[in-house]
Amino acid sequence: MTMPAFRLERPRSLADAVSILATHGPDAMILAGGTDVVPNLQMKLFSPRVLVDIKPLAKNAQLASIDWSPANGLRIGALATLTSICESPLIREKFPVLAAAVATIAGPLQRNMGTVGGNLCLETRCQWYNQSDFWRKSLGGCLKKDGPICHVAPGGKFCWAAWSGDSAPALLTLDAEIEITGPQGARRLPLAQFYKNDGMDRIALGRDELLTAVHVPARMAGRRGNYHKLRVRNSIDYPLAGVAVSMHVDSRGICRDARLALTAVNPAPLLVKEACEWLAGQPASPELIDRVAQQAIRTAKPLTTSGSTPVYRRDMVRVFTRRALEESWRSADGK
Amino acid sequence: MAQHSIIGKPLAMIESGAKVTGLGKYADDLSVPGMLIGRILHSPHAHAVIRSIDSSAAEALPGVKAVATGKDAPRPYGILPIGHDECVFTKDKARYIGDNVAAVAATSAEIAEQALDLLRVDYEVLPAWFDPLLSTEAAEHWLFADKPRNIEKEYHHNFGSVDEGFAQAAFVREQRYFAGEVNHAAMEPHSTLAIWEPDGRLTVHSSTQVPYYLHRTLAEVLEMPMSQIRVIKPLIGGGFGGKSEVIPIEIAAGVLAKKAKRPVKITYTREEVFLAHRGRPITVVDMKVGLTRDGKITAVAARVVQDGGAYCGYGPVTVLYSGALLGALYDIPNVRYDGFRVLTNKPACGAMRGHGTVNVRFAFESMLDDLAREAGLDPAEVRRRNLLKAPCITVNGLRVTSYGLPECIEKVVERSGWNAKRGKLPYGKGIGIACSHYVSGAANPIIRSNIPHTTVHIKIDRDAAVTVFTGASEIGQGSDTMHVQIAAEILGVRPARIKLVAADTELTPIDLGSYSSRVTFMAGNACLEAAKNMRAQILEAIAAKYKMDPALLDIRDDNVISLDDSRLHIAFDDAIATALEFRGALVAKGTYAPPEEARGGKHKGAGVGPSPSYSYSAQTVEVSVDTETGQVRVEKIIAAHDCGRALNPLTVEGQVEGSVYMGLGQALQEEMVWDNGRLMNPSLLEYKIATTLETPEIESIIVESIDPEGPFGAKEAGEGSLAATIPAVANAIYDAVGVRINSLPITPEKVLAALRVGASFSSPSSSCSSRGSDGGAK
Repeated sequence: MTMPAFRLERPRSLADAVSILATHGPDAMILAGGTDVVPNLQMKLFSPRVLVDIKPLAKNAQLASIDWSPANGLRIGALATLTSICESPLIREKFPVLAAAVATIAGPLQRNMGTVGGNLCLETRCQWYNQSDFWRKSLGGCLKKDGPICHVAPGGKFCWAAWSGDSAPALLTLDAEIEITGPQGARRLPLAQFYKNDGMDRIALGRDELLTAVHVPARMAGRRGNYHKLRVRNSIDYPLAGVAVSMHVDSRGICRDARLALTAVNPAPLLVKEACEWLAGQPASPELIDRVAQQAIRTAKPLTTSGSTPVYRRDMVRVFTRRALEESWRSADGK
Repeated sequence: MAQHSIIGKPLAMIESGAKVTGLGKYADDLSVPGMLIGRILHSPHAHAVIRSIDSSAAEALPGVKAVATGKDAPRPYGILPIGHDECVFTKDKARYIGDNVAAVAATSAEIAEQALDLLRVDYEVLPAWFDPLLSTEAAEHWLFADKPRNIEKEYHHNFGSVDEGFAQAAFVREQRYFAGEVNHAAMEPHSTLAIWEPDGRLTVHSSTQVPYYLHRTLAEVLEMPMSQIRVIKPLIGGGFGGKSEVIPIEIAAGVLAKKAKRPVKITYTREEVFLAHRGRPITVVDMKVGLTRDGKITAVAARVVQDGGAYCGYGPVTVLYSGALLGALYDIPNVRYDGFRVLTNKPACGAMRGHGTVNVRFAFESMLDDLAREAGLDPAEVRRRNLLKAPCITVNGLRVTSYGLPECIEKVVERSGWNAKRGKLPYGKGIGIACSHYVSGAANPIIRSNIPHTTVHIKIDRDAAVTVFTGASEIGQGSDTMHVQIAAEILGVRPARIKLVAADTELTPIDLGSYSSRVTFMAGNACLEAAKNMRAQILEAIAAKYKMDPALLDIRDDNVISLDDSRLHIAFDDAIATALEFRGALVAKGTYAPPEEARGGKHKGAGVGPSPSYSYSAQTVEVSVDTETGQVRVEKIIAAHDCGRALNPLTVEGQVEGSVYMGLGQALQEEMVWDNGRLMNPSLLEYKIATTLETPEIESIIVESIDPEGPFGAKEAGEGSLAATIPAVANAIYDAVGVRINSLPITPEKVLAALRVGASFSSPSSSCSSRGSDGGAK
């Protein structure tokens, strides 16, 4: 498959990259690992005039390194590959939910190429959108691209394309912040505020900005956590639903603090806010776990954006939430 | 048993070095000076009259060298003589989303794609038919005016006394089964390079399983004599039936090359592979089987509707196999079959590994499991009680010569620990058994001709290399290596001495192609005959020179030796020099055509199903089922396959494992999903072929029944094991959690729904899982 014609820019520095983005505005697009952007270009989903390849900036250690200190917590450069994250002994030990989630992304080849920044900025996905130019033309397009209606919810004017990243829900349960660099320098933003829950306008990133790092506070280190992903195959596939949990459990088995986040069932990865409230200070009980699982279902609003049905995906959000919570409590007992 | 030096030994496939180093050339690797890139314009409508095509803007685009439409190649074609209903570019109307409307050749892919956008086609959209059951009720807007109610073909067979058979049964079950549509998903997308030669000839390199049929069809459609066309098959990255009929890409490249007078290459995108399709159709099976109290099958009645898509293709053969191979696995005295091949506005279905037999086998073996339970019998024992007594001729006229099924069943029962596991594993874990079989080559060709089905030539020259010329097509199944092994065995030389020239119509004699698992049996027999002939020529020459009886000479380990005490010992190279002096030239031939008595009965449709021999398979599958998610994990599969004799155990095991793997994909994951004739998952990301992570340990057991007519006793190994996997999985799920899923693929959602209902689960009220508004305007 061919790609639309574009000019490839290879900035030599972060400042250079920002300036190129600022110059070209909506005509420019960032390319990092390319595992999301390139297939989408081949499908003619975008037609950038300028493609800004920031991968060479990985040589700038700050942009690809994984650093930890008890004072500053965890910092992951946006260009760190997914493989380097899920294979990092540090992350596996201190932030198991993140290692578990990243290990499920695509297949090993894509994890070698793909970056955490890219995964946090994925384009939203929908079976009516992620199709070839021919396919979409034969359909007459969709709201997200070249068409008047959303085929998922034909009455409305809202795009329901699903957030389909795996690392974001894990990082949400770790209260992560992201570092965004633009013409005015770097700023920090809670990850939860990065996502706009709109299939067409998914992230709060200016046209002249780059996501440059992810920060996880030191207080989240050592929490138990896990990630449950619904998919047909145990590799390659995007999530059809995903549940991430991180939990701090004390020696008496009381949950001191917990976060629960969902992916692939809304246009954004979302925290189940009530879970945090309800779980804090509580011992494990089937009733509590069921209550949280029911609440997770209320947060999940899957529609027919993928090959599986909304009913089944919601069902699995419930099952996976229960399992994720039970496992967190169990693994804490073992410590 | 005769001792063999090469036959029966594991030999790495001769092209494997080229494949793993990347030196080997697939069609898309080929490039020649002046080569243009071709692209095909596909219909965006499922059913639409083509009022006009304006190609002027496309033709005017710099870099565009040819634009072709229906009028450039108006002759219809089709793989079967009875179904010439396709034109390379449809002339009157488009019949599915993706139908071929026109094509362009340009100096780059980008320009070719731009040119497609400039083609102006005026369509008049028609109501379309998507559901095979609704399609047969269509009062108007048929796909073809001469195919009323969109029925391509129907066959009605009745053998024995089916009603009497059911009357004798203690247990009779009737059930509808559904199988979704699957695609071959070969790793290599179809690709063709057509070269218009300066002398006005055409050379076509194509990813085809059937160079000879392609050769014929190119000649017909391009209106050129066959003598002016050469077809070459390069390395193939998997076929599985998807390259076993002439695919539009091949003709399109030829038409463009002829028009541009330049080389033209077209390689399908993965989406185009799905649109060209020719895979296994959506199938609705209404199955009825009767069983006596002691487990004897008394009768089978099957009504099968296959959703063939928009064109005939191999369709009538598919639906005939579904009926014919109800026979030849078990001893069934009474069989009724009603088969319908229905047209719908979707890509055409065709031959896919296990052609026609797979979905019906799923239904039958699932039902046999239920009947065994009803009769209080062990499902393995029920299968044992219905064995054929070979050699025999089945009630529907199929001749069975060798029959390793009993041993297959014994082997898997023993290896799996069946008796200790069946019905005894904890809830959530289960084991299932099923059997299947397949033809070792269709006994009747799809062309109307009495030429041999295959011919092999061998020549030896002064370099003493043995060159084997075969038309047979290596598609990854081991065809080339098989020829080398047979020739080396008979000629008593190392495999390295054999040079193989294959599948090039300018050099090699005719072979009908790699389909119906015919190559080992048929080309193998031809190669065997040619090698024996060559051996005789060599030994005759040596015998003459040394005044010996040729019967007392042998060739072993690259030396001609005497079997008496004369101690004659001549190196093969020297022997060849002698033989060339004696004969002038060393050339030999061998041919194969199936014997008359293997060609089946006389009823309408009797031509499909007969084979000179049948392979057999029995399998056990162990699963665990997650009762909260419905997810099925396959833990282990043991597959015993009767291949007559394993000429190369390495490739036989590879074929059995590959068949099981494909069966598993269809059983649990794979399905082409449709929405109003639009394929929702035309990619390998969304069409879910299994990864290594879903593929369990597969233990293959080779059973050798030594067929009386196969080369060294060999039969097929590449297809027969696929069909058993699917019902074995379904039966294992039943054993694990007590639910019967009658609809493929067995998704977690279906399992979960059945667990909640606590009973069997068929497809939802609509007959087919595809969504659509049949007959409504789109």
